Amino acid sequence: MIRPLAGMARVGLRFQLAYRSDVIMSVVALVAQVFLLRMIWTALYGGREHDPQGLTLEALLAYLSLANLQAFATTPIIPRIAHFRIRTGMVFFDLSRPTGYLPQMAAFQAGHTAGGLLMLAPAVPVVLLVGTITPTEHPIGYAATLALGYVISVMMSLLICVIGFWTLETAAISMLYRLVSHFFAGTMVPLSFFPGALGVLADALPFKYMGYVPAAVYVGHLSGGQIGQAVAVEVGWIAALAALLWAMWRRAHRRVVIQGG
Amino acid sequence: MAEVVRTLRLYWRLQRAAMRGALQYRLNLVIGVATGVAYQGSGFAFVWVVMHTFPAIGGWSLREIAFLYGLRLTAHALYVLPFSSLIGLDWLVREGELDRVLLRPLNPLVQIMAKRLGVGQLGDLLAGLVLLVVALPPLGPASALFCLAAVVGGALVETAVSLALASLSLRTWNTIAVRVFADDLFSKFGSYPMSVFGGAAQWALTFVLPVAFVAYVPASVLLDRTGELNVPAPVAYASPLLGVALFALAYRIWSRQLRHYQSTGT
Repeated sequence: MIRPLAGMARVGLRFQLAYRSDVIMSVVALVAQVFLLRMIWTALYGGREHDPQGLTLEALLAYLSLANLQAFATTPIIPRIAHFRIRTGMVFFDLSRPTGYLPQMAAFQAGHTAGGLLMLAPAVPVVLLVGTITPTEHPIGYAATLALGYVISVMMSLLICVIGFWTLETAAISMLYRLVSHFFAGTMVPLSFFPGALGVLADALPFKYMGYVPAAVYVGHLSGGQIGQAVAVEVGWIAALAALLWAMWRRAHRRVVIQGG
Repeated sequence: MAEVVRTLRLYWRLQRAAMRGALQYRLNLVIGVATGVAYQGSGFAFVWVVMHTFPAIGGWSLREIAFLYGLRLTAHALYVLPFSSLIGLDWLVREGELDRVLLRPLNPLVQIMAKRLGVGQLGDLLAGLVLLVVALPPLGPASALFCLAAVVGGALVETAVSLALASLSLRTWNTIAVRVFADDLFSKFGSYPMSVFGGAAQWALTFVLPVAFVAYVPASVLLDRTGELNVPAPVAYASPLLGVALFALAYRIWSRQLRHYQSTGT
């Protein structure tokens, strides 16, 4: 069970490393994005004496850099892979392997993320510098919320892969998912700035665990009991998503369409 | 002159065929436009959310930023609607498709432009126009004319940069990464008052990559803010002409590089 999955993860890793120039360009774009946010937020804070929402400018800049690094590193690839393989019929090979389809995809994603982290490594000092990040007081809380948030993110992308078995076409859904998830993850604005109903919605959705929650824990905006609560809710989301995935997969694999040709 | 008319007529015909092609996939068209609107809308949503807490960005109010945003987005849409096929030029060169284009008796650039219609970009146009109309400051007839000229000029600035960079791929350079990055800079940095980026970045975004001239400079003219610019007011008033000049220059570069084109032989 483990060996084939490790193989799948290796393929994901190699896939990521094969498109080096793409990754380098997106790292440059990431640095530009962090710079843009830094300048805009500095201008916004310019005329203020007190810290809105209890966030100092320094903590906010550190938050934004981290949230963008995290979102960059965890952006899923498998919806694209699944979309391509369902459209061309190649998904047949995935399904004929003795290892389950969803574990295969999850392993591929894990390998791909690992490759992304490797490529990202040289950029991290730059981003940390541009974002003025200092060591955190809650390393364990940060690691825990981030790891669980990553699991949630992978499960959501698996959900999109499974939806593809019905719709056969997931390009638009993936694109929309990326937009919505980045926005509600709080990569440009911390969730605590979201006004009224939008704030309630952002708080209820699971996207915040991919950006806002871990990054806010890191900079100390969330602490103590709030961390424990976040971890508990994340575990709840994982359980719920697992049940949903299992139920959907039972139906999905019965209606597989192999498009040949 | 007859040549220009003939080219325009053929362009219109080819573009109509591309439009008919796009209309064959109705659902894809609807989803494409909706995604375009959502994509651009989510960018503006950031501004909108932030300005709930903060009254101004670099001294610009929400309405002024919305106007700047709309101006840039509309100019961008006017560039990308006819030129969306340009992004695939690397591929055309690599696959030898460009040879076929060169054999036909019509301006190669026009043929490439007419290859397909950027469906998602209709969403950009829609979002841009809505923002522009909603946030439009009261304009006299002269300013209204300047606004129109600014949109066209801004589109030409973006087109010029994109065309000049794309020309390099005719010499078998892999340009896609650089072009995507330039596009990214235009769309990320073009919609904010440049003064917030600080002297060096503002200078680079004005004189190295002319992002400022797409919308920020003309918007400053229309909002009576030319005092904040890092260019003299007369230059700001002439900014639409810069688009024309840059496009002429880029077209020369394109024609030059086209003469040096060597087929990959595939």
